[in-house]
Amino acid sequence: MNHTDEKGVFAGILNRGYHTIFYENWPVWLGGLLIGITSVITFAWARPWGVAGGLKNWGDWFFNLVGLYEYKPTSPMVSTSSILTFGLLWGSFGSSLMSKQFSIRMAPPLELLKGIVGGILMGIGAAMAGGCNVGGFYSAISALSSSGIAMMIGLIMGAYLGLRYLYWELEHLPTGSTGGDRTEKKENRLDWLAVEPYLGALVFVAAIIYAWLFSRQAYSRVGGLLLCGSAFGLIIQRTRFCFVRGFRDPFMTGNGEVTRGIAISVVISMLGFAALKWTGLRGEGVYVPQAFWFGGLVGGIIFGIGMVIAGGCGSGSVWRAGEGHVKLMLAVIFFALSTSLFKALIRSSRGLNALMGQRVFLPDYLTYKWSIILVILIMFAYYLASTWNEETDKFTVEM
Amino acid sequence: MVDDITPDETLDCRGLSCPMPLLKTKKAVGKMKSGQILEILGTDPGTKNDLPSFTKRAGHEYLGEKDDDGFIRFYIKIK
Repeated sequence: MNHTDEKGVFAGILNRGYHTIFYENWPVWLGGLLIGITSVITFAWARPWGVAGGLKNWGDWFFNLVGLYEYKPTSPMVSTSSILTFGLLWGSFGSSLMSKQFSIRMAPPLELLKGIVGGILMGIGAAMAGGCNVGGFYSAISALSSSGIAMMIGLIMGAYLGLRYLYWELEHLPTGSTGGDRTEKKENRLDWLAVEPYLGALVFVAAIIYAWLFSRQAYSRVGGLLLCGSAFGLIIQRTRFCFVRGFRDPFMTGNGEVTRGIAISVVISMLGFAALKWTGLRGEGVYVPQAFWFGGLVGGIIFGIGMVIAGGCGSGSVWRAGEGHVKLMLAVIFFALSTSLFKALIRSSRGLNALMGQRVFLPDYLTYKWSIILVILIMFAYYLASTWNEETDKFTVEM
Repeated sequence: MVDDITPDETLDCRGLSCPMPLLKTKKAVGKMKSGQILEILGTDPGTKNDLPSFTKRAGHEYLGEKDDDGFIRFYIKIK
C-alpha cells in the first residue's frame, strides 16, 4: 500500500467517525448511560453536576451589577456552578454546529411568552427544591438525599399539570402556536451549513484551551469542570436526552423511552456517588439540600409545570438555547433572574426558610446498604411503570 | 421516495420547538381520514426523532422526510 492510499484510508476512518458521532442518532439509553458515567466523573473530579446553581450565580451577578444586591457573588468566571452551566451551553453549541443543527430559531409571540413564564416558574421551583431537575432531582437522588425523591414525585405531578395546560391551549388558543417562516431570506448568502462543522471544532478546541489557561492560573478544578460541562452538552445534544420528555411523554404519547433512560442513569450515578461518599472521599452532606419534603415536593410541582410550558428543563433549556432556540434562550434568562430573586426571598425570611424542610441524608436513617437498595427499587419501579404504561396507555391522557 | 408525495393536509410547525410540533400533529391526525397523508413542516431537529416514534406507536405509517430551504418536510400516512 503506498503512502497516498494510507492517507486515504485514514481520512476515511476519520470521516466515518465524524458521521457516527455527529450525523447518526444516538439511542436514548446510551445518553442515560453516558450521563450517569459523566456525573460520577464530575463528582470525583470536583463536585456534583448541577445547572440551576450556575443560572443563580448569573442572576446574582446581574442583580449585584444593577445595584439590587449588596453582596457580591463569586465571579461567574471562577464559580464552579457557573462554569458547569456555561460548559453545558458551550458543549451543546459546539455539538449542534458539528452536526449542522445550529440555527437561530425564532418562535411565535405566545411561544416566546411561554418561554418566559416557564423560565420564571422553573426558577421559583428550583429555589424551593434546592436545584433544578439536575441538582434538585438527579444529583440529589444520586447523593442519597430524600429531597430528590420528593422532587421526583413533584416533577411527575407538575409535568401532568403542565401537559393539561398545553392541551387546553391547543383547544382554546390554537393560533398562538401557528408555525411559519420567520427567517430572513438573503440572496447569495453564505452557505453556513457547510462552515458549521469547522466552527464547531473550533468551539471544542477553544474549550480545551480555556481549560488549559485555567490550570495555568491554578484553577485546574474549574477548567476541568468546563470540560465536564461541555461533555454533558455534547452527550445531551447528540442523544437529545430530555428530562422533560421523561416526565411528560408517559402522559402525552405513552412513550417511556426517556423515562427508562433516566432510571438507568440515576442508578449508575447513584452507585458512583454512594461509593465516593461511603468511602469518605467526598463529604456526606454534599448535594443534600434543605428541602425535604415541602421544598422538594412543591418546588418539583412548580418546576414541572414550568418545564413543560417552556419545553425544556434546567439542562434542556440550556442545551436547546445552545442550539439556537430563542424561546429557550428566554427561558434560561428568566430562570436565572427568578431563581436568584426567589432564593434571596427564601433566605430573607426565617419562616419561609424553615418551611422548605430539612436536610435528610438517607443513610443516616437507613444505612448505606438499604438507601442504595431503596433508590434502585424506586428507579426499577419507575422503569417498570413506564414500560407497563407503554403497553397499556393507562396513564396516557387523551386530547 | 418522498419527492412525489401529494399531501392532503399541511401543518406548518416552523419556528415551534418540542413538544408543540408533536402535539399539533397529534391533534391534526385525529381529524384526518384513513389513508390520507399529512405533511408537517418543521425546524426543530428534535422532530426528526419524535415524529417517527410517535407515528409508530400510534399505528400510522411514517413515509419519510426531506430537507427544504432551512426546514424539514415530514410525511405521515394515517392508519
